[in-house]
Formats: sequence, C-alpha cells, structure tokens
Amino acid sequence: MMAKALKRLRLWPQGLVAQIIILVAIALFVAQAINFALLLRERTRIELTAQTAPGVYRIVDALDNRPNRRSGEDGDRRRVQFLTQAPALQGMPRPDVERRATAMFADIGLTIRSVRVVEESQPLPMRRWDNFRLRAAGERPHDMRMARLVMVAEYEPGKWAMTQSRIGARQPRFGGWLVGQTLILYAIVLVPLLWVGRRLARPLRQLTRSAEQFARTGSADPVEERGPGDVRQLTTAFNAMRSRIFAMLNEKDRMLGAIGHDLRTPLASLRVRTESVEDEGERARMSETIDEMNRMLEDILSLARAGRSSEARQKVDLSALADAVVEDFLELGSPVELADNERAVATVRPQQIRRALRNLIENAIVYGERAHVSVEHGDSMIRLIVADEGPGISEDRMEEMMEPFTRLEGSRNRETGGAGLGLALVRAIMTEHGGALRLANRPQGGLEASLVLPA
Amino acid sequence: MSERPHLLLVDDERSIREPLAQYLVRNGFRVTAVENAAEARIRLNANAIDLVVLDIMMPGEDGLSLCRHIRETSEIPVILLTAKSEETDRIVGLEMGADDYVLKPFSPRELVARIKVIFRRVATGGQRVTAPDGATYAFAGWLLKTQERTLVDSEGVSLPLSTAEYNLMLAFTTRPNQVLSRDQLLDITQGREANAFDRAIDNQISRLRKKIEPDPKAPTLIKTVWGGGYTLSADVRKL
Repeated sequence: MMAKALKRLRLWPQGLVAQIIILVAIALFVAQAINFALLLRERTRIELTAQTAPGVYRIVDALDNRPNRRSGEDGDRRRVQFLTQAPALQGMPRPDVERRATAMFADIGLTIRSVRVVEESQPLPMRRWDNFRLRAAGERPHDMRMARLVMVAEYEPGKWAMTQSRIGARQPRFGGWLVGQTLILYAIVLVPLLWVGRRLARPLRQLTRSAEQFARTGSADPVEERGPGDVRQLTTAFNAMRSRIFAMLNEKDRMLGAIGHDLRTPLASLRVRTESVEDEGERARMSETIDEMNRMLEDILSLARAGRSSEARQKVDLSALADAVVEDFLELGSPVELADNERAVATVRPQQIRRALRNLIENAIVYGERAHVSVEHGDSMIRLIVADEGPGISEDRMEEMMEPFTRLEGSRNRETGGAGLGLALVRAIMTEHGGALRLANRPQGGLEASLVLPA
Repeated sequence: MSERPHLLLVDDERSIREPLAQYLVRNGFRVTAVENAAEARIRLNANAIDLVVLDIMMPGEDGLSLCRHIRETSEIPVILLTAKSEETDRIVGLEMGADDYVLKPFSPRELVARIKVIFRRVATGGQRVTAPDGATYAFAGWLLKTQERTLVDSEGVSLPLSTAEYNLMLAFTTRPNQVLSRDQLLDITQGREANAFDRAIDNQISRLRKKIEPDPKAPTLIKTVWGGGYTLSADVRKL
C-alpha cells in the first residue's frame, strides 16, 4: 500500500540508491527533530532551575541566618529584604519559576506559604568585557537586555522575604544549531551511503543490462563479480544461470541439428525412390509431399533457432531488399507488385528479413490472390508492407494467427500446405530485430501485413 | 572421358546410396557406390573416375576431408550432398574445392542436371568457378559479397540482390573487362541455352544498372558492346 502510494508521487525516485538516500534523509531529519525537542525540554528545565536557584538559595540562606545575622557582611548590599507587607510587584509574572521555587523550598524542607515571582526587564548598558567577548565571537556589538527576577516568599503569615537575581535575557540560537548539526550529520551519513549505494547499484545495473542483452541476442558476456557480498552472490548465481541457459540453448541447437539431419536422410531416401515410380502424376505428387514435409521441417527448425542467429547485423537498404525478393517471385511468375521506393536504410540481418518478407508475400499470394509490396520510411521506423486482395482475417483471430501451428481455416487453397509456422517465424524474426509484425484488414478489402523495423 | 561417364557415389546411408545409384545408372552413367571415405580413396586410385558425388556427414573421415584430399591430388569434379542448410556448411564445402552442392532431400533430376552442367563445362574446357561463396569482390567503389548475395555501396549499405541479379553480377565480377554475349551470360548464370526471344538477360542488366550505375541511362560500369553483348568495365579485386 505504502509503496503504491509512494509510486504515485511524481517526484519519488525509482532508483534503489535514491530511495534509500531519501528515506535515510527523512529518518535522520525526524530523529533530529525529536532529539531537538527533547534537548529543548531539558534545556528549558535546566534554565528554569538556574533562574530559580539563586533566589531560592538566598531566601533559604537569609531565613537560616536570621537569628544571628551579622550586620556588615552584606553591608548595604543586602540581598534579601524582609517585609511585613505584601509588596506590589510589577513586571511579567513567571508562574513556571514560582512552581519550581515552591518545589525547591519543599525539597529543602522549608515551609513557605506562597511564592510570587515576576520578571523585570530593562536595558543594560554594554560593558567593556561583553563588548570584547562579542567581537571575539564574530558578532556585532549590541545592547544586552538585562532581566531581573523578583522573588517574594511568604515564609510566615504576614512576613515576606524578597530577593532579586539577574538572568540572561537572550535566548540562545537553537534553530541554527539544529540546521547546522543536521547538515553535518547528513554529510557524515549520506556520503558513505552514496558510496555504498553506487557500489550496489553498478553491479545491479550490469546484471540488468546483461539480462536484457541475453533476452535480445540469446548470448551475453558474464557479469564481473564485484560490489558487496550479497550482490556478488547474486552475480555469481546469475552468471551460473546464464551459462546453464547458454548450455541448454546450445544443447537445443545440437539436438535440432541432429533431428533435422536424421529426418532429412530418410526424406532424401524417399525422394530418390520416388523416381522409380512409373506413374508420372503419382511421382509428382509424391515429390510434392516430400518437399512439403521438408519445408515444414525447415520452418520448425528456423522457429526453434529464432533469436540465435549467427548472421551479422549490417546496414541494408530495405527498398533494395524488397526489390530483390519481389524480383525472385517475379522470376517464378508469381503475381507480385512492388511500388517504387526511396532508399530506406536500417541495421538488420538481411537473410532473416528476406525470409520474413518472403513468408508474407507467400501468404499474400496463397490467401489473397496478389501481393502488393511497398516500403514506408517514417522518422524512427521503416515499414515493409505486403497487402493482398483476399478476404482478410477477422479481428478476433489476428493475434492467434501469429501463434505457431495456427492456420487460416476455410481458405480456398486447402491443398496449400504449411505447418502454420510462417507468421510465427516472421514474428520471431521481428522480435529479434526489436521490431514488430502488424496485421490489419484494409478498408478496401484484403489483409495488410507489415514488418515494422526501427530505422 | 568414355562414352558413359564414371561416377563415384560416396554415402554411408544405404537407403540413399542404392536407389540413387540405380537412378544414376538409368540416366546413362556408370556408377561405383561406396559407403565410406576409405573405400572411396581406394576406388579413386584404382578407377578412372569422372566425377564424385559425396555425402558430407559420414562416420569416420567425413566428406569435407575427402573432398580436400581429392582437390589436392586431382581435378576430378566434386558435388557435395549435404543435409545441413546452415549457410556456413555450404561455404566450407565450396572452400574445400567442391564444384557444387545439393541439399538433402534433393531431387535426383536436379542432381543429374548439375552433373551434366559440370561435364559440359569440362568438355568445353571451361574454367572451374570454384568457391565463389564466401569471397568478396571489390570494384569501382562497390563490394560484391558472395556469402550474403549482396552488393555493398561506398557508404557501407548493403543492397540485396535477387538470385538472377546476383548470378549475373558474379558472372561479370569473375570475368572483368571481358565481353560476354547474351548466350554466354545465360549459360553461365542459368546453365541453359538462350532462345531467340529471350530478353531475360537484358532485363536483368537494366535492373543491375539501376542499382550500381551513377546514371543508368549512360552506363559506365556495365557497358553494352555493339553486336557483342556486355562487359564490366572496371578493375576487380578479390578480397
């Protein structure tokens, strides 16, 4: 569910490394935020205690020393005043400090009836030392605001002790600190992560490329084993699988070769023997049947070998190719037409494309009376089109026609054989070329089969 | 050569060897049929053999090896029988010096026709056109690749040729700067006699010109020789 929701986000990256890094970055940020909140709370508590404590201690001290108070020690700078009237306090009430002070008095074991605290604030003239300290820290000198806490404790009914203490008014710059710390953390965590990620991603990319290459060409170089242990194991397993598949495909080729040879030999024997048949018509039909069996055998072998062609790809003028194929049909007196075409160069295996085109033209002649061949040169693809004048194929059977061993029933030429491998073979050849076989009924009737090849 | 040419048929498959030998005998040849290369070597030494029909796939020494041996020691023509249709096997066979090959299952009539073509060539003192397959000929900025039956232009783009075009092109590139009459061209390319109305060669020539001449109306490569025929006016190198 979550993964699906994430996928819908357009900015969410698909790459493994990018996803890990973004997740870690988010997790780090959340952790930092929680950390910061806890720190802030702790700090506030300490600050509160630090603000409360001097006042509390002075009052406690003063109350303890009351009986034998020596005058002169505090002199005229007496820090605690004893009052018999509730003082009128001005300034901002600080209930937080009041609560803390009450708790501290209770901890010490002093019974205090009530505590009141206010904060008075007034500008404090800059002292030379402060000035110096600020400059050293690289800050511009500015007026400090001085804040004083005035604490009044009613220690007996009708008797109050009052004291004042200084507190720093400036809040430390906590936000900047958080950002800075987070950035440093990012650098410490994400840089190695990036490195690990690349180490992970590169072999994975190689694996993907190798697998794709295998799918396209039926062979691929083994992938170099590197990266972290798990990935290396995956690579080893992949390479092992690759060579197993490779061995199986080779085995298949050898087997098909053997089958082909073993079937062709008795066919050849039969073909030779037909010549001793007296009846001319019978002999012709027999050799026709043998040729038919041989063609089917060839088709099956070609289809089984599709995708494992040893032919090299080369730049070919497909118009010239179509021309040559059509010319061969014309030599045999087949009803084929070729439209005049521009040069259309693509990188293909020419023998295979010849084969594919030949199959389409044969189909067109057998099922559609005539074949009209043309070449269309688009921006990114070239289409070799074979149109016929037959009944076409009903839409729901089009896909099926490209499957092996499917034949169009009810064709008028029932005796024209074939194993129904023609289109399957064409499709296999197209797939190997990164192209496609398209079938469509023409509006004016007849079927249009086209080989679509990347230009 | 005696009245009835003497063929040596080498095939390990009895089911092919025996009926084929009978068929060849019926078609006017003397036939010695053997089942392996070793026996074939003995017969080659003992008899005056005019042509060898040789199966490639045989247990023991295979047909290709025997073919090479024959070519090294004599001028006896060889036709290979092969069950494989893989392009490479044909080429290897022709590089081994075979004169021709037929694919199994072959029509015995076709085999006889090919044997006769070879005998006619030998009788008229024609050159053995060995191993065109696999070779590449270069002329006037073009390459003729015989393995793929394509022309390659100066930009490296292949122009596939039809069978007839290819045969004609090969006839020219293997005989550059020679005047070839229509009859000769027909004979070389299709192994048949021309009849008076046969315009096939002229059609093929004009098709070829469209493909390779810079200006097909004023041909500079395949020139018409008045009253004689055609000639490929270019230097050909075999690569």
